[in-house]
Amino acid sequence: MKSTTNRPAATSLKVLTPSEARILEAIAGRIFPATETPGAVETGAVNYIDQALAGDYGHFRSLYRNGLRAVDRHGREKFARKFADLSDVEKDTVLTDFESGQAQGFKNAADFFETVRCHVLEGVFCEPHYGGNRDLIGWRLVGFPGQQYGYPDAYINKLVDLEPVATVEPPLEKK
Amino acid sequence: MTTAGLVADVCIVGVGATGSILAKELASAGLKVVGLERGPAPRLEDYAVRDSVKFIARPEQLDWVKHEPTTSRAKIGQAAQLRYRTSPLNVLGGALLHWTGQVSRYMPSDFKLYTNEIQSGNAERAGADLTGYDIIDWPLTYDDLEPHYEKFEWEFGVSGKAGMNPFAGPRKRGYPLPPLRHSAKMELFAEACQKLGYHPYETPAGILSQPYRPPTPFDTRIAERAACVYCGHCNFYGCHVHAKAAALYTTIPVAVETGNFDLKTGCKVFRIDTDGSGKATGVRYFDPDGRPQEQRARVVILCAFVFESVRLLLMSKPDDGSFANGLANSSGYVGRNILAHGDVRAMGLFDDFIVNGFIGPGSAAMRIDDFNGNNFEHTGLGFIRGGTIGTSGDGAPITRMDVVPPDIPTWGKAYKEYFTRYYTRTFDLNMQPETLPHKANRVDLDPRHRDRWGIPLPRVTFDFHENEHRLQKFMAGVGEKIMRATGANKVWTERKAAPNRWAGGTRMGADPKNSIVNEYCQTHDVPNLFIVGASVFPTMSGYPPTATVAALSYRTAEYILRQKQWFA
Repeated sequence: MKSTTNRPAATSLKVLTPSEARILEAIAGRIFPATETPGAVETGAVNYIDQALAGDYGHFRSLYRNGLRAVDRHGREKFARKFADLSDVEKDTVLTDFESGQAQGFKNAADFFETVRCHVLEGVFCEPHYGGNRDLIGWRLVGFPGQQYGYPDAYINKLVDLEPVATVEPPLEKK
Repeated sequence: MTTAGLVADVCIVGVGATGSILAKELASAGLKVVGLERGPAPRLEDYAVRDSVKFIARPEQLDWVKHEPTTSRAKIGQAAQLRYRTSPLNVLGGALLHWTGQVSRYMPSDFKLYTNEIQSGNAERAGADLTGYDIIDWPLTYDDLEPHYEKFEWEFGVSGKAGMNPFAGPRKRGYPLPPLRHSAKMELFAEACQKLGYHPYETPAGILSQPYRPPTPFDTRIAERAACVYCGHCNFYGCHVHAKAAALYTTIPVAVETGNFDLKTGCKVFRIDTDGSGKATGVRYFDPDGRPQEQRARVVILCAFVFESVRLLLMSKPDDGSFANGLANSSGYVGRNILAHGDVRAMGLFDDFIVNGFIGPGSAAMRIDDFNGNNFEHTGLGFIRGGTIGTSGDGAPITRMDVVPPDIPTWGKAYKEYFTRYYTRTFDLNMQPETLPHKANRVDLDPRHRDRWGIPLPRVTFDFHENEHRLQKFMAGVGEKIMRATGANKVWTERKAAPNRWAGGTRMGADPKNSIVNEYCQTHDVPNLFIVGASVFPTMSGYPPTATVAALSYRTAEYILRQKQWFA
């Protein structure tokens, strides 16, 4: 693992408020947690989602606003503390209630959870110019060498020993 | 409304795979051809980037997807929901931009389902329940299409090896290029199939295994293209080295260079005009500024894919009261019997074998047809037909992040452990079972939803029925058995099929009372109106439609060029 930086995920927020970002960061940290290797927070998944909400995912803004508030509220009702301050086990209990749609008082609970789960993982594995996958951590974790121009070898039952790349080069080489 | 003064010989609506082949063939023969494409002409930097967020996570945001939704429902009576699909693509070059590149010819028996399955007694022996299905033969045979399949393979460049698939129809000429390099998936699958007594072969691929330019007697004006570099960004992506067969850099530039092809992008056709004698006189369209325009033509060809071709016919009701149900619809069959594959998958993961499934291309695949069509004994199985089975499972992590065994959670520490260990150690088998034409599956005009031009959206009503349910279950079982034979440590199946690879809606047939076009894709009702594309398929095979769609385009072009009196 080349990089194990542990910087805060969202440095300059475009759409989320700081308190929303804290809740989202706490969720991201359970969806794809840091273990002996970095997780979603360290790869910048929150930043990815914030950038997406400012653009292509603008239509998800109200779902996030309401969903993040509902997660926090559900955490307070169940454990009498802010969601971000809960233990890992407590956070997982809250998130499981959302995943199964059993969280009271928010009819889009399951839909919200599935949306966030999907977006957090996108943030881990995206091309880095979308704001996540910092230092290509997501790709390194799973063994994906990135946007390689091509593969000279089929690597059948061999580890791919190429340094991962993210590329924005002009697509076609001119002859 | 302005009127374009000139009458074109031919007006083509939709410049994708079929429209571009017809444009090239007809313009090369000297006809004056106008092509109206609703989408933009994509630039290299728009499509040839290996960007999994753009093409996999957010395809509905693409400029050539977001303006052309359909509405969708499973059954009549339900409210249809808006759907944004990557297919159809409203872009110059059409779906060949983002396709995987599987170019199998149909088998000879795929063209004669009524004769081979119903009349022969196969369906009865199988114990199939064909309630509600509406099966007819194609009005042409494999032999009729064979030279046109060949032309497609040699003009677009297909990599493959003839003679490996014992179930394939006869062919006069091999493939222009040798098969693509083998991947780990292909090796694992081939070995398992051989063990089980099946007949694996390399899928013919519309991807160049070597640099290629068509030789004589084929179209040598098509420029040389580079060989595949195996980057793996293939399915849903444009190709950054142009190894993938696409209209954008094969047929379209050749058509334009003739000087006889007036290509207009950003032009949305909304009506086909006819005169009192029942002939088409041209089309009306919105230009890129949204202004209505008219294009008159001696021949009109709809190459606008399943949904749009149906929609145009249903919207084109002449003012004189003829064709009150839509143009060329005296039979009432426009929009009916639409078809889509219902793929099912078998996944496998390996503890001690590194697959590296992200190494491409997607169509570098191994395949068997032992369970396709009527290639196996159906007595007592409860269904007719079958499907093709091949290796799959390529893609960047975003493509694969939801491929999770049922006993592993989809988030949390266990998920992370699973995905970080197995992303490189897994692949899929994709089963493509054939779907039969069913009376309940159709496209019509949505009564509620309209597009940005104010035109009713095409409403798709589609569900799988009894024969599909039984066949899909059977195919999933076969896939599971093969995947186990690869030595995978864990195998699971995904049996819930979602429709893809659409066809039907303006089917061809010998009888004008139950079909829309004849064997030359010419409408029975309007002699100078043609419909070319998968919408003319009366039945579908287990294979993707592209090769057959292309072959029909070449054949229709030949037929039109024989009608010299039309253009005198």
